Amino acid sequence: MQTIIKFLKTILLIDLVKGMWLTMKYTPQPAFTFQYPAERRPTAPRFRGVLRLQTEPATGAQTCIVCDQCAKACPDDLIALGGHREPGQKIKILDYFDFNLSRCSFCGLCAEVCPTKPIKALIMSEDYELGSYSRDTQILRVDQMYDGVEIEQYTR
Amino acid sequence: MGFGLACCAIEMMAASASRYDIARFGAEVFRASPRQSDLMIVAGTVTKKMAPVLRRLYDQMPEPKWVISMGSCSNAGGPFPTYSVLQGVDKVVPVDVYVSGCPPRPEALLYGLMRLQDKIRKEGTVLRKERTIMSGDTEPTLNSKRFDADGERL
Repeated sequence: MQTIIKFLKTILLIDLVKGMWLTMKYTPQPAFTFQYPAERRPTAPRFRGVLRLQTEPATGAQTCIVCDQCAKACPDDLIALGGHREPGQKIKILDYFDFNLSRCSFCGLCAEVCPTKPIKALIMSEDYELGSYSRDTQILRVDQMYDGVEIEQYTR
Repeated sequence: MGFGLACCAIEMMAASASRYDIARFGAEVFRASPRQSDLMIVAGTVTKKMAPVLRRLYDQMPEPKWVISMGSCSNAGGPFPTYSVLQGVDKVVPVDVYVSGCPPRPEALLYGLMRLQDKIRKEGTVLRKERTIMSGDTEPTLNSKRFDADGERL
């Protein structure tokens, strides 16, 4: 009995059909294209785009506490930051934040380990459009970390 | 010519599939032969063993030619600062557009292609300035803290 079933499965290519079932389900459907510059596909809520520093939405104050955890968490040492403490204040003020975009593998460890609450200082934004003409524009300084990388708007 | 080596090659294939069509931008045919192509998209990790092959194929392309470096591995070695990975494909070929991402989304590759088209529109194809290769040692440097404008360590 078993050999007959096996024989039938070989003849009728049951395994092949099982594997190709998803592909064949898409075959009679019409192909659709996202017309990219005009319409963008919405990204997932936890999408890991380029890094951004966040400020307080109400006051624009700095949220980063310069704890250096993101620099320690990066597996390639791509973040360098430093700050100083004003006399009499408890919070450190961020002086520089250099992020090397050329090697980043977008793993998200730096954003995951950032301890600030309720607004996390270092997040991975939704921007993924990162084409640049030279390597030195791929080192992001503090202003670009706050405002985001400038993107040419192509609409056609 | 799609020089797909690793994971970025899959995103390049996705960009040429029907959902994010690369044929809408005039880049439909991915030629296998360098003699018939004018753009080379280096997608994936370039090892030191593969580097002379890459240079040879680049030399076989007729002028005018452009190179897009796709992904972190071909930009600057990516997350692999080891003895066998070439730290950036711009050490062997001059690169015009660097697309970052790991791997870059297909839309990001299309954005890089549009930026290249912008660059060609501004620069022209006949009289082009000298493009240089970023020479330097190919050994990995993790000294990426605190850069100045040239990319040198402070």
